[in-house]
Amino acid sequence: MKFLISVVAISILSYWLGFFLPWWIPAAVAFLVTFFLPQKSGVSFLSGFVGVGLYWLVYALVRDVSNEHILSGRMAAIFGLPGTASFIAVTVLVGSLIGGFSAWGAALIRLSR
Amino acid sequence: MKQQKSGTGRLIGGVVVLIATSVLVYILDKPMGDLPAIGRLLDPVSGCWANAEPVDPYFSKQLKLPLTATSATVWWDNRMVPHIQAANDNDIYFLQGYIHAKHRLWQMDMQTRAAAGRVSEVAGPSAFDFDRKQRRKGMVYAAENSLRAAEADEHTSTMIHAYTAGVNAWIASLSYADYPLEYKLMGFSPEPWTNLKCVLLLKYMADDLTGKTDDIAYSYLRSVIPAKDFELLYPDKIPGAAPVIPAGTVYPAASLTQPLAPPDSLVFPQYESTDFGELREQGKGSNNWALSGSRTASGAAILCNDPHLALNLPSLWYEVQLQTPDMNVYGASLPGAPGVVIGFNDSISWGLTNNYRDVKDYYQIKPVEEDKTKYWFSGDKLAFGSRVEEIRVKGKPTFYDTVLYTLHGPVMYDEKFNEKGSLRGMLAMCWTGHRGSNEQLAVYKLNRAKNYDEFVNGILHFECPGQNMIYADRLGNIALWGQGQFVNKWKEQGRFIMNGWDSAALWQEMIPMLENPHAFNPQQGYLASANQLVTDSTYPYWYNGNYTELRAWRINEVLDTLQGASIEDMFALQNDEYSVLASKTLPLMLSYCTSINHPYLDTLRSWNYILYKHSTAATIYQLWWRNLYSDIWKDEFSKVPDYTIPLQERTMQLILTDTALKYYDNRRTAKIEVLRDMVLRSYQETVDSLDKQQKTIGLEWYKAKSTSVTHLTKLAPFSYKDLATGGWGNTVNAMKPNHGPSWRMVVQMGKEIEAYGVYPGGQSGNPGSPNYATYLQHWVDGKYYRLLFLPNSPTQTSIQITHTQTVSKN
Repeated sequence: MKFLISVVAISILSYWLGFFLPWWIPAAVAFLVTFFLPQKSGVSFLSGFVGVGLYWLVYALVRDVSNEHILSGRMAAIFGLPGTASFIAVTVLVGSLIGGFSAWGAALIRLSR
Repeated sequence: MKQQKSGTGRLIGGVVVLIATSVLVYILDKPMGDLPAIGRLLDPVSGCWANAEPVDPYFSKQLKLPLTATSATVWWDNRMVPHIQAANDNDIYFLQGYIHAKHRLWQMDMQTRAAAGRVSEVAGPSAFDFDRKQRRKGMVYAAENSLRAAEADEHTSTMIHAYTAGVNAWIASLSYADYPLEYKLMGFSPEPWTNLKCVLLLKYMADDLTGKTDDIAYSYLRSVIPAKDFELLYPDKIPGAAPVIPAGTVYPAASLTQPLAPPDSLVFPQYESTDFGELREQGKGSNNWALSGSRTASGAAILCNDPHLALNLPSLWYEVQLQTPDMNVYGASLPGAPGVVIGFNDSISWGLTNNYRDVKDYYQIKPVEEDKTKYWFSGDKLAFGSRVEEIRVKGKPTFYDTVLYTLHGPVMYDEKFNEKGSLRGMLAMCWTGHRGSNEQLAVYKLNRAKNYDEFVNGILHFECPGQNMIYADRLGNIALWGQGQFVNKWKEQGRFIMNGWDSAALWQEMIPMLENPHAFNPQQGYLASANQLVTDSTYPYWYNGNYTELRAWRINEVLDTLQGASIEDMFALQNDEYSVLASKTLPLMLSYCTSINHPYLDTLRSWNYILYKHSTAATIYQLWWRNLYSDIWKDEFSKVPDYTIPLQERTMQLILTDTALKYYDNRRTAKIEVLRDMVLRSYQETVDSLDKQQKTIGLEWYKAKSTSVTHLTKLAPFSYKDLATGGWGNTVNAMKPNHGPSWRMVVQMGKEIEAYGVYPGGQSGNPGSPNYATYLQHWVDGKYYRLLFLPNSPTQTSIQITHTQTVSKN
């Protein structure tokens, strides 16, 4: 339950703050949410990873579908990736990693007390 | 105790993880070498994903912008062409600037950077040499002079100020998320637009269209080839030309007397440079023609134009319709400049091809030995002017280049800046483009012209680059002008580098523009230009230029016999791929091969001389011709740029009339070769490479030549290559690897104006937009769109209008 709440909180807060704050704000959100909703460090990593990843995935997917994959196909080719799906995967991985690591760090610090 | 230790461990671990996270974010937020900041780029909110435009475009119904009148309207049609209506000049050009920027901002930015020599600021050291050459040519100096002229005229002053304000209003509305994708990839931001940038863009076109520094190569050639041979290989006026202004047109008496040519020893310096680099083949191919009603099925005049330029994305052109109370014009506009450059209005239509008359000459400068701040002229010591050019280079220190100015123009080459093939010493460029001309005023007046007189009155402001301006109106009149500001030259003046220290070599008076060659409603019922020689020998002034004849011969041949012409006939002629060169040279080439049996020859023997995209004969012929051409000239002409080798059409004339010209001989062999030997030898070379090619890409013509439309960054995923098109530089449809018809237009000037057009791109410059290359396939297939020309009225009923935006004053 706590895991689910963390994931949803990270996703939604990142979404709102993302409108006016820089691209890395989900990292700060994952940190804060985990700090106030601490779980085991591994679970925290996962909630940050999934929370930010989910938000980036949905955001990218909505744009990609309404664009009929034109941009993602071209960007994938620039990065030497096979296609749209892999470009979305790389995008989501970047978001997930900063979210996951940030949450993990927060959990470790919180649990040290 | 153990618990405590673990807590500290966790704290340390947490801090380490957080530091690692910060470092990760930091790395992803910083550009690395040529790579953009990956985190910023991939961010789905503001990064490249923000450029994934919905395929159903969104247009806000209401816009608030600083207009001078209360409102204006933009109707968007189903091809995303804006039809803009405003109450006055200020508002129409403001909105044109705003909309150009909305769709093409990055391209406008890059093209004006290229004009001004400012590419390395954003692209780094690889663009430095290019930038420095632009500065040396005095591009900004030229633009500043023309800007003063544009700002001194009330119409063009309004025009460019409003346009600039419109572009800046768009830029001001942008956040990082809204930046065109290329800014995110290259890691820079839009800067404010300026009036100077509008003019810079026109100077970039002028420089591109008024020739390269071939005077240097010709000076070298002239010193190594006997005078008689030089005249044979490079005739002043190629025999048999079908000139732009039809032969027999009567020219009014010249008001200026042609100056007497001074002795060569006085005006032409001895020239020695021989280190010419390989330069790519010069791109040419523009066509325009007009048929009077006597020649058309409808009885209305028809005007056609296909200007050929480098094929890039975003496309050079942007379609637009502009309406004010005194103007209703539709056509191709240049993003970065106000108005419509090629198009039609309620009354007239017009089109452009390059005129190529030489207006860019070079003078050798003799500096004063003991005082390097001065140079010799007519026995006097004159002081150099100078401009310090600040070239900022991304990732490197700023470079300062002092460019010296003489009474001829900027010193392009000197000991500090010396390209391959340049002079060992100082060389100044003298160019009509440096003078303060106001071509923008010509555009302003053309867009509003109601009849022939107003058309002429407009084009007289078009000084550089010289253009063949075709005209047709709804009264059935047709006309063609070889227009530009030209110099009254003595014979051979400016064909070679001149002495900069002798006043005899100076440019003299400018020819009054009303005396420029022109024809109005000629007997033959049509007029046509295709970059060929402009006049027959009865034109009273001397001139030279880089003319080509093959397409003109074909167009004239077709139009001569065409009666009752339809719009489809015009489409067919713009897409015509019949090679006059092949039809004349191949029978001769084959006549030397009667004893050879080979499948390639069989293919050629049954060929119709059409460079059709799937033709294999076309591939065989073109390769054979290229080898023959190269075998004939490359031994004597190995040291000059390709485009200064005798023309293909001249070579054709020579091989058809002279089988034993001394230039056929390969000087690298002991034997004295004649034409027969060259033909057989080049055929053998052709067979060898065709056999190899057959095993790789095959022999289809479009694959062999590979026409591409390339994004300005050269990124392959934003570009299109191996397009299935026929044609070549020697056919009307002059589709070359990176050069071709940049806009095809056919306009029938009847009671109702019926206009068709297509260009190789799309209205949006965004590679992530469905409108990025919308028209490309149509263009490749030789198809056209019917252009939606709205009446000049406050309400519109066309069902092709998909979005209406009301703009109100804020």
